[in-house]
Amino acid sequence: MRVTDTYKFGSWLLVLFTLTAPWVLPLLVDSFWVDIYSEILIWSLLAASVNLLLGYVGLLSFGQALFFGFGMYGVAIGVVKFDLGFWSAFIFGISLATGMAAIAGSLAVRLTWHYFAIITVVFSLIFYFTALSWKPITGGDDGLPFTIPPIISFGDYKLTMTNANFQYFFIVTIVGACYWLMYRVINSPLGRAFVTVRENDARAALIGLNVYLIRLTAFIFAGFIAGVAGALFALFGRYASASYMFYHVSGEAVVWAIIGGVGTLFGPIVGTGLMIVLREELSSVWDHYLLLVGVAVILTVIFAPRGIGGAFKALAEKIARQQFSRKESGP
Amino acid sequence: MDLVFALALNGIVWGLIIALIALGLSIIFGLLDIINIAHGDFFMVGTVLAWTVLQTTGNYWLAFLLVPIIGFGLGLLINHAVIQPIKNAAALSIVATFGLSIILQESVRATYGAAPNRLVAPIQETLLLFGIQYEVYRIFAAAIAIFAICVFFGFLHKTKLGTWMRAVRFDPEIATAMGIPAHRIYMVTFGIGFAMAALGGVVAAPITTVDFQGGIDILPFCFMAVIIGGLGNLEGTVAAAVLLAFVEGIITSFTDPTIARIGSLIFMSAVLIVRPHGIFVGATR
Repeated sequence: MRVTDTYKFGSWLLVLFTLTAPWVLPLLVDSFWVDIYSEILIWSLLAASVNLLLGYVGLLSFGQALFFGFGMYGVAIGVVKFDLGFWSAFIFGISLATGMAAIAGSLAVRLTWHYFAIITVVFSLIFYFTALSWKPITGGDDGLPFTIPPIISFGDYKLTMTNANFQYFFIVTIVGACYWLMYRVINSPLGRAFVTVRENDARAALIGLNVYLIRLTAFIFAGFIAGVAGALFALFGRYASASYMFYHVSGEAVVWAIIGGVGTLFGPIVGTGLMIVLREELSSVWDHYLLLVGVAVILTVIFAPRGIGGAFKALAEKIARQQFSRKESGP
Repeated sequence: MDLVFALALNGIVWGLIIALIALGLSIIFGLLDIINIAHGDFFMVGTVLAWTVLQTTGNYWLAFLLVPIIGFGLGLLINHAVIQPIKNAAALSIVATFGLSIILQESVRATYGAAPNRLVAPIQETLLLFGIQYEVYRIFAAAIAIFAICVFFGFLHKTKLGTWMRAVRFDPEIATAMGIPAHRIYMVTFGIGFAMAALGGVVAAPITTVDFQGGIDILPFCFMAVIIGGLGNLEGTVAAAVLLAFVEGIITSFTDPTIARIGSLIFMSAVLIVRPHGIFVGATR
């Protein structure tokens, strides 16, 4: 099997599993795993937004939780304070996150590496503390719960997220659309420009690319993806809370992206899935399972800095090379 | 007015302790090029070790001696296990130290427990200072911090090892070519960085609470001091730490402490964007 074939096979397997999960998972394990799988899909978008910046433009953001939080609060505040409907609240949350990404990005992408990582943390901390102290709007520590408005209502018939299957496929559709969008962007000329900037920003500037604008575009796009994740998570959990804006959430997303493998489209799903399944399985067995998470993070960084996705890619390429050379020397 | 004065004084004391911790962060960054997300947890480990020393020996003064030594040892160990293997990929240091931070917090939670404890200060007296009753321990804490900072600068400028450290920071390749054992210098630097954070923990433990999450609040503050002072600029770090804590102390007497914190964070972003090498650049180097 060629490398691209293994990828295709893996991707189709993932798609097939995702589409049948609400019926397969209750048969195999337990029905609450359907909810966990939805959660994995949502969080994987946050990891994907880290991956977009780190893997494709070479910027390590430690503040993606800020846009996740804006997406969350956008939905919750939209429903509670402005009495918005389902779609308008959803779009309001995403626009809020994207707008914030545009503002924060225009300042942050002037800096690179260490400075960039630190300023993204600082921005997310500013709004974390603001959300904590601005109780009338954000609910502070307690968060902001809300009841979900129906998506479509025909008189008495209402389609809402309270229907488990509907909720699942709503999340799958939105997450799938985001990955499709990322795939299209990464494989477009813009995506090539991202990689060029990551590899060598001085040369990218010399061949006429506007490095600042390219970084800003990537930052806004990543903020948009994180915002979608936050908005989805608000709808999924029916509340918004400042604690999701803390830098530990951003850090977790970075960890998921790196364990899954930065610079690969589906790496974040693999990393997020693995870490969340580990958490669900281990946290009930061993109270201090976080020790294992910490060890796993350090081992990944030391031995497989390109993550599971990168290690898989290297392995597949090695096998492909061996098969190729066997064919060459064979009869 | 008394309140403003007390809070400003608290700010200076706290600023000096932060300066001590942030200096460790700053030398680790300056020499090893490592952004140490776990530095707040080094401080937290210091407070927990101080609490343990007090519980086992009943003598808090012993902690001032023992904890930095244990911290130094832990620093050497961590440097060997985590930092050296990623030396050629310093960019990953943020992620590796994030993992380290998880491990430190969780192992403290597993051994020491999740409930925060308060320590009784070894000095109970208060002092009448410009019309307010002020705890003597806080003044003593400030004195210890100043003393440790002076010892550190003396070490850096007057001893052979300190000179080597400055040489490696200036140019690792030339320093190695001149026969300085750079590898060992990195090791010692990380150990000293941990020891300073741990000493900060001992000094601060009676003022704050001993808790496995105690490092989380400290970390952003230390980073602020290091950034505003200029990454790697040690004197700037000390000045920035004291200045920040003093200003936050004064703002706190008018409004919410959270608003004071937001103010300093905004100030820090402005510094990062306008003067990314710190506000003292050109003054010292």
